[in-house]
Amino acid sequence: MATNEIQAQPLDDMGGDKSAFAISMLVPLLRATFWGLTGYFAAAWITAILAGTVLVDPLPATVGYVVGMVGWLMGSGLWEGWIRRAFGGKEAPSYTGIERYFRFGPDSKSTAVRYVVFNIVAFFIAGMAAMAIRVELLTPDSTSWWMSEIHYNQTFGIHGLLMLLSVVASAIVGGVGYYLLPLMLGVRNVVFPKLLGLSWWLLPPAFLAVAMSPTIGGFQTGWWGYPPLAQNSGSGIVFYVLGAASLLTASVLGAINIVGTMVYMRAKGMSLGRVPIFIWGLFAAGTILVVEAPATFTGALMDLSDMILGSHFYTGPTGHPLAYMDQFWFLFHPEVYVFILPAFAIWLEILPAAARRPLFARGWAIAGLVGVSMLGAMLGVHHYFTAVSDARMPIFMTITETVSIPTGFIYLAAIGTIWGGRLRINAAVLLVLMAMMNFLIGGLTGIFNADVPADLQLHNTYWVIAHFHYTMLGGVIFTWLAALYWWFPKVTGRKINEFWGKFHAWWFFVFFNCAFFPMFIAGLEGMNRRIAIYLPYLHGINLFISISAFLLGAGFLIPLANLFYSWRYGPKAEANPWGSNGLEWQIKSPTPYVPFPAGTEPEVVGPNDNYAAGAKEPFVWVSTPGK
Amino acid sequence: MADNSYAKLMDPASERAKRGSFFFLVLFAAIIFAMWDLARFLWGGTAVPSTLNMGVGVVLTALMLVSLVPVMAARKKLDRGDDAGIVSSLAALLVISVVMMGGIVYSWGSLSIGSGYGGIYDITTGWFVLHFVAAILAILASIMKISRTPERAKSERWVSYNVLTYWGGVVILWVAFFIVFYIA
Repeated sequence: MATNEIQAQPLDDMGGDKSAFAISMLVPLLRATFWGLTGYFAAAWITAILAGTVLVDPLPATVGYVVGMVGWLMGSGLWEGWIRRAFGGKEAPSYTGIERYFRFGPDSKSTAVRYVVFNIVAFFIAGMAAMAIRVELLTPDSTSWWMSEIHYNQTFGIHGLLMLLSVVASAIVGGVGYYLLPLMLGVRNVVFPKLLGLSWWLLPPAFLAVAMSPTIGGFQTGWWGYPPLAQNSGSGIVFYVLGAASLLTASVLGAINIVGTMVYMRAKGMSLGRVPIFIWGLFAAGTILVVEAPATFTGALMDLSDMILGSHFYTGPTGHPLAYMDQFWFLFHPEVYVFILPAFAIWLEILPAAARRPLFARGWAIAGLVGVSMLGAMLGVHHYFTAVSDARMPIFMTITETVSIPTGFIYLAAIGTIWGGRLRINAAVLLVLMAMMNFLIGGLTGIFNADVPADLQLHNTYWVIAHFHYTMLGGVIFTWLAALYWWFPKVTGRKINEFWGKFHAWWFFVFFNCAFFPMFIAGLEGMNRRIAIYLPYLHGINLFISISAFLLGAGFLIPLANLFYSWRYGPKAEANPWGSNGLEWQIKSPTPYVPFPAGTEPEVVGPNDNYAAGAKEPFVWVSTPGK
Repeated sequence: MADNSYAKLMDPASERAKRGSFFFLVLFAAIIFAMWDLARFLWGGTAVPSTLNMGVGVVLTALMLVSLVPVMAARKKLDRGDDAGIVSSLAALLVISVVMMGGIVYSWGSLSIGSGYGGIYDITTGWFVLHFVAAILAILASIMKISRTPERAKSERWVSYNVLTYWGGVVILWVAFFIVFYIA
């Protein structure tokens, strides 16, 4: 590994404040909560009085949300950490110890750790909604003791939106990506650190609003929010719109940092060909967000305008409901590539180190990542073939199926890397291999969805549910867990328990497939998605799916316990436990507050995936030139 | 002597990086406006309503074009290292922001939001209002920082550059808006 005298220098106490946790460190979090809730209720109440309406109407809810969000952000430390200083006020304090995890700040590492915690909490709550759905589907009738059809509709909408935008969207990009982005590029922080810090603080209010939407009437549109149903199924849709827009904004703020840092802040000697493959994955995802999120963003605002300002974009005499679908899917199909491209890149980051082999066909792999992101911009229409039913269908079918070509590059690069190598299989590598298997099934079944004749039969059936859970849960979440295990020593300085890691991986793999593969069959046999009832002949298969889903859900307690226990009591890890050539592993573990000492910087002098015996080190540490 | 404070070390981007990356944010904002410029034809057809106050539109557009004068003057001063000299230009932009917002709100009175054209006009101009609010905050921040802590402003000149870039972007978007909504 890269070592020299400069790297061995002491950090000049750049590791930050070593104070132990104290309850007073939670003050910003509590203050944010108090100001946020007070702001929400005060503004909503005043608006309701002025408008002569009730608290749960769309307008008071919208004004309350905006004011509550501002209160929450100010309470989190945004004022003293950014705004006051920006207006020429006192210098922002540098919180370098544990307290930085509980307040707004510019440190990308603590922001990333907050992302992981948020994703885990959101995954648990949205997962509970999934369990509630499966309880309802234990019986084929609608007179269940469990929930009404309206509650069922609300539940699957909340489950879908929260899983996608507050878990999958930020699990890898946020928790893993924002931690590794500067370290892999050889810089101490991202290009706009405060903007990145802000991105996390948008998430909790948005999550809370969507989760609490039933309190103001809920929404029954599912996570699509299609009008005109959106305008006719409860005021909770404004929380859906505002929550989705906030979560999207958080993603875009992160994307700007990803793209800007990658373009402008690479370490000396890091040409585009030597940029770590995971950064390429993040970059491909980031460009999708910057370029395509505006369409969906405008859709959300126009939908909100219809509900609170009296415009008729999607309903009424001048309404075009189909335009909403165009705008919605313009980002939200490519959004799945925002989820999966960084996951692909993690496979290609972990496998070379685990197999001690160079990344096979690296250039083609990069072309695959960028190619998917470019093609992905042009195919959202395949989500509503049944609505358009015109000459557009074969065009979008063709483009969609073309995506399998650059995806194939990525698979071939992964297979070529481990071909003939001696793969050291730990829990992270096992999960990567399982993710590759799952995504293969999800990807191949996607071809049937994109195929017009097949799609007209499969549309809105459980086949589609199975397909996208194989890609999102089977592909992204498996990889997310792999990444958490792999980079756990980097963040905590400790290793996870390998036995329980592998045990959970197999538990996860078996019950995931038991829960979701039968959904392909149920879909082919005519089971509709999003409906609380089904015909009795589907009872047996649904019973099997539900029981498998309960076991799958319960299994998530294993990694949760493993991560938590290992963080406190796991075996101490050396600085580079996997023998990786990645630049992030060349600095201390856990990463100090300032990742590497003042006056030094890494220089890239060779490919970081050359694991041949006697290969020269890919990085050296050099003195930062004085200015 | 290098500044090795925590704050400086943990915000390592160069001025080039800060100014270059800002364009991605501007790009994002520009695509939003582009979406609405395109949407104008879907919801408003190709005709321009007779109630639309062309005079207000022309005046506001002229004002936006005139605003490029203080922008260019401020850029030249920044390039010369005269940070304090840009305050008067920024103050002019502050006044123009307020006038623009007033003009936009006035123009809302002549159109019905419930009509196709009125709806897309109102939401697009409403989005401009939000950008002018952001401009006012950014300009105020720059003026106050330059006045109160000139050394800090000098070491973070990318902020002033980005404020001017932002304004230039809004001018371009406004001109596109005028062409699409008033003329096309």
